[in-house]
Amino acid sequence: MLTIKNLQKRFGSLRALDDVSLEVEDDCIVGLIGPNGSGKTTLFNVVSGFYEKDGGEIYFKGERIDGLPPNKIAKKGLCRTFQVSKAPEKMTVLENMLLAAEHQIGEDPFSALFLRARVQRSEKANLDRALALLDMLQLLQLKNDYAGDLSGGQKKLLSLGRVFMLKPDMILLDEPTAGVNPTLRVQLMEAIKRLQEMEKKAFFIIEHSMKVISNICDRVVVLNFGQKIAEGTPEEIQQNEQVLEAYLSGA
Amino acid sequence: MAVINFVIYLSTMIGIYSLLAMSLNFQVGITGLINFGQVAFFCIGAYTSSLLVVNAGIPVVVAFLAAMALSGVFGYIMSIPTKSLKSDYWAIATLASGEIVRLVALNEGWLTAGPFGVMGIPQILKDFISKDAYPVFYLLFVMACIIIVYFFLDKLTNSPFGRNLKAIRDEEELCLSLGKDTQKLKLQAMVVAGMVAGLAGAVFAFYIQFISPENFQPIETFLMWAMIIVGGRGNFMGAIAGAVVIQLFNVSTRFLGNYVPLGSDSMAALRMTIIGVLIILFLLYRPEGLIKEKKKVYD
Repeated sequence: MLTIKNLQKRFGSLRALDDVSLEVEDDCIVGLIGPNGSGKTTLFNVVSGFYEKDGGEIYFKGERIDGLPPNKIAKKGLCRTFQVSKAPEKMTVLENMLLAAEHQIGEDPFSALFLRARVQRSEKANLDRALALLDMLQLLQLKNDYAGDLSGGQKKLLSLGRVFMLKPDMILLDEPTAGVNPTLRVQLMEAIKRLQEMEKKAFFIIEHSMKVISNICDRVVVLNFGQKIAEGTPEEIQQNEQVLEAYLSGA
Repeated sequence: MAVINFVIYLSTMIGIYSLLAMSLNFQVGITGLINFGQVAFFCIGAYTSSLLVVNAGIPVVVAFLAAMALSGVFGYIMSIPTKSLKSDYWAIATLASGEIVRLVALNEGWLTAGPFGVMGIPQILKDFISKDAYPVFYLLFVMACIIIVYFFLDKLTNSPFGRNLKAIRDEEELCLSLGKDTQKLKLQAMVVAGMVAGLAGAVFAFYIQFISPENFQPIETFLMWAMIIVGGRGNFMGAIAGAVVIQLFNVSTRFLGNYVPLGSDSMAALRMTIIGVLIILFLLYRPEGLIKEKKKVYD
């Protein structure tokens, strides 16, 4: 589904991504781990079009996507969340969910004014879907609260909800469970796993919790100083000397 | 009688500025586009409509539509630099575009009669309405414009389109990550706002029947900003409330000069000082303005 070839990204003399190649197959969950500053979020930013690459190629569903603006990449079905959750503060939780819905009618002034019946039908359908997702994410009682008033963990949940509303083919999650309480974290992992199994979506997840990783990931990629140092099943990674030295020794 | 005439004049001016403030609110309060060149739309609307009628003899209705269309086109042009300029730098560019439009009106004498302005703008439907009733008729016409514009802007704001605009205001990168073409949305917002302000320009020109570049100084933009700061951003009732408060200060103190022992220069300076203090007080003690943005609640 996603193929990255020899990706390069430099900030001045710092090689944030140094010749990274990797692949995320259809309907599978791949974890991305590495110490702080190893280039994980940079990789997401380049893949999703927020940063320009300095070299290499990115293919999504066989199509080259590097160089496209972020919104075009999202429209192709590759969607991301942010490490520091973004939530329009003066919009309610439910508005946030509706904002993300795919194939909306009334997103331009003309149809918003003159196709009101069709707009209302599409809004109703999206509303039902949004409420079901909020229920799953335990945000239902907060539906009419401003997103700006949510806690950090709740914002993480909301960003997951928004991404699910969008129905992409592949989802990049940047630390989806940071700041989420342990009970909900387990449920979240189950939700991701369920979504992957039911709707055959691919996930690429940055995560620091080894527990989450070994629970849901089919495969793990390890970055250190912008280079891929290892790749394999969660069990293999936990045995890998290099990885232990770079990353897990401190934990 | 003089008092009644004055109240009608004041109300009409409040109405015209309400249209301008609603347009500015659509840009600033809803979309988060900091436009310091709002007066450009006003100027284009006024000049387009009056020149078409006075010089080309085109029917007033067509002239009004042309004024809206040309201001909308100018909104489109103004939105282009949002692609490459961050919001604060774009704001400075808009300040310049407001001045450019005024200076074109001032210097392109073959088209605009330059500093002499456009004179002899006819009154709409003059033959059908008695001279005494005309001011009231025009006030009603302005109010009708406000109701129609309010209806459309409110519908737009509460549609998926408006939701996208609010999301751009609050968190533009998120919009991009959700596949929204934010550039196109800003463009559409600027065209809509431009059309509304262009209408206000046409309504203004046919009310005072004489326009010159003097009417479109940058200070007009700042008055409109004062309106949305005082009235409240993100809702159109706030824009109207702000227009009422600021115009009451702005217009009524002009006539206070007759009763206060101050020269007209001092009075003009004092007027702006009062409005400045009002802006500061609101920003400090009531930053959300007189009327707060309404939360959209689903049950």
